[in-house]
Amino acid sequence: MNGSSIAQMNHNEKKAFLVKTSSLKDVRTFCREVFEKLEIDQNLKDELVLAIAEAAQNIVKHAYKDNPSSNDIMVVEVSCVNNKLKIAFYDRGTPVDPEKVKHRELDNIRPGGLGTFFIQEIMDAVEFKDGKKPWINHLVLTKQL
Amino acid sequence: MTYKVTEEGDTSTVFLDGEIDMDKTEGAKEVIFPLIDAGKNVNLNLSNVQYMDSSGISVLIESHQKALEKGTKLIVKDVSKSVLKVIMMAKLEQILNLE
Repeated sequence: MNGSSIAQMNHNEKKAFLVKTSSLKDVRTFCREVFEKLEIDQNLKDELVLAIAEAAQNIVKHAYKDNPSSNDIMVVEVSCVNNKLKIAFYDRGTPVDPEKVKHRELDNIRPGGLGTFFIQEIMDAVEFKDGKKPWINHLVLTKQL
Repeated sequence: MTYKVTEEGDTSTVFLDGEIDMDKTEGAKEVIFPLIDAGKNVNLNLSNVQYMDSSGISVLIESHQKALEKGTKLIVKDVSKSVLKVIMMAKLEQILNLE
């Protein structure tokens, strides 16, 4: 999905959040503020915020499934260089096996399994990279603005 | 998220408010599910919900399926533009009863 946008400057900003469901709103607020600075239009901003929130939710829901009371942090980094938006996520949860990250078929109507679909639908690329210490997982979402 | 429930005959209208994410879904279910379990038709008014993620969409699907099982009806009403976009991305506009 695309929307017109004006990303007029190169930019990099990151923020740490506790790996808790209660942090998801803060993740959205952080991203909305960055996208305001980048002058990204509302439609695209809404989509990007959804994709980012879904990725952060996956960290809470899956990478920390066995450790819900952890006080670990996750870091979200938003950068924009030459109109290419990159959003990186770092966490120290259970290692993600990219082969197992799949969304449900859309015609198999049931609760769950849509977060990954939204991310893939909105972003140009979704890459799981090797997490460098102290991180275990490093997810990178990119989109050409 | 805040909510209000009004009753008219065998129909309950649930007005949800705010942003519905994974942190808020249990609260939403606690309001909606008992009404369906009690055999009520439920109108879910989302006019004041400006953001919903896949967790919120799951609540809509689960509520819809629960209503079908119980022989009642769930109608999703006054969906904001931003939430409708997410529903359409999930290709659920033909599945859910939208008004």
